[in-house]
Amino acid sequence: VTSDTTTGDTTVSDTMIDHRQVRRAIEYYYEHGFTDGLPVVPPTESYLAEFLAQVDRSPDEVVAAMPHLNRECTLRLAAINSIMAGCLPEYFPVVLAMLDALRLDAGARGATRFSSGLWQSTTGTVPITVINGPARLRLGFNCQGNIFGPGFRPNATIGRAMRLIAMNALGLKPHVLDQSTQTNPAKYTCCIAENEEESPWEPLSAEAGYGPGASTVSFMMMRSCMHIEARSATRAEHVLNDFANSVARTGVLYSEKSSCLIVVSPEHAQLLASHGWSKKDVREYVAANAVCTREALERAGKTGISRDMHWLVPSDHPDALPGEEPQFERRDGTEVHPVLSSPDDVVLVVAGAANAGVSTVIDLMGASTAPSGRGGGRLPAMSEIVLKPSP
Amino acid sequence: LADGILLERRGVPAVSVCTDKFKTTAEAMAKLHGFEGYRFISVPHPIASLELPQLAHLAVDALGEVLAIFEVSE
Repeated sequence: VTSDTTTGDTTVSDTMIDHRQVRRAIEYYYEHGFTDGLPVVPPTESYLAEFLAQVDRSPDEVVAAMPHLNRECTLRLAAINSIMAGCLPEYFPVVLAMLDALRLDAGARGATRFSSGLWQSTTGTVPITVINGPARLRLGFNCQGNIFGPGFRPNATIGRAMRLIAMNALGLKPHVLDQSTQTNPAKYTCCIAENEEESPWEPLSAEAGYGPGASTVSFMMMRSCMHIEARSATRAEHVLNDFANSVARTGVLYSEKSSCLIVVSPEHAQLLASHGWSKKDVREYVAANAVCTREALERAGKTGISRDMHWLVPSDHPDALPGEEPQFERRDGTEVHPVLSSPDDVVLVVAGAANAGVSTVIDLMGASTAPSGRGGGRLPAMSEIVLKPSP
Repeated sequence: LADGILLERRGVPAVSVCTDKFKTTAEAMAKLHGFEGYRFISVPHPIASLELPQLAHLAVDALGEVLAIFEVSE
């Protein structure tokens, strides 16, 4: 809207708007606590209609809920927050599939303390979603260089939509219902796509039984994210031992068992595959070799197990169960504790540029056993993306 | 804190205890459950890293408030 100060006429134009009105709209959302600290796109009814037209579902459908907080998010609220996050209308089916996968994840975890506590915990757990299939290319997801970084609208805004939905629709505001001590930077946004074109292995969606024409969102809860340097590795075991040692570091262990997502760079994946290693082989090796020595756990005060929560505590801690300790086994004369229960505790995705031998180990909060695991094994909660046909 | 409210609503007398660092969250939870002003106890933070004698001391200190909320005397 522009105003002519000499005539007093007001005209509406697609190309000229009053910057004060724009500023007022942006500030409105800050003043009401509706942002993540960054500016949001002000939603309008007409723009909302474009989002709702992308799906054949009722705007009143409840797409996410936190029963212990008496909070629900309708599809309409999800769309409003997607607009605010900067999504384009055609991204909205991905946001909905992400929320569908979130419900599967919460359901698979079963106990309410997992579905609720994960979002409010002092750990500061954050969602990480992985996109597979043709939707990656159609919507322009980044699956190559700078995979966890900025510059790509679908990755940035769809992950951000998840956070704004959590804050605005489900009420998970920091310092109030979100009690995380520090969390990690991925809490702003964390949505990656698999680099299927440069991966020697079947994509994550195929492991769950989806065909190449299907697009999916996989949902996991991240605790921390660790960069792995193995640029000069010449043998598969070099890389795999770096993975295993990083998964088993003492600092990340809060209970006896851990689980992880390894985002393998194309260079590492190709090295492993060229030496005959399948995804299954890699999972089995990492599960077998992610071990902590008794000495390392003792030095970190983690050889006791607490009552109720079963956290690792010093063995002389007041809450330690008498005589209880993590399971140890003897290997080459050394007592070690395997931190993974099975190969299913390792999720593998190939992403990033094929330009260096670096990968990422992401520590997950538990592992869901969602029914998406059509291949028989346990896999992250996964939902199919249903896009409208291209015009 | 929500557990304390849910127990009370089922007729089971309960007192919720948290550390002072979680007081704001506890008050927000009470409000969300339609129980603004719900009385609970906040004890000094931290708990997880205390030795047994310190924990015992803290529990004894809090007992008076627990009984006050239950409206009973020692």
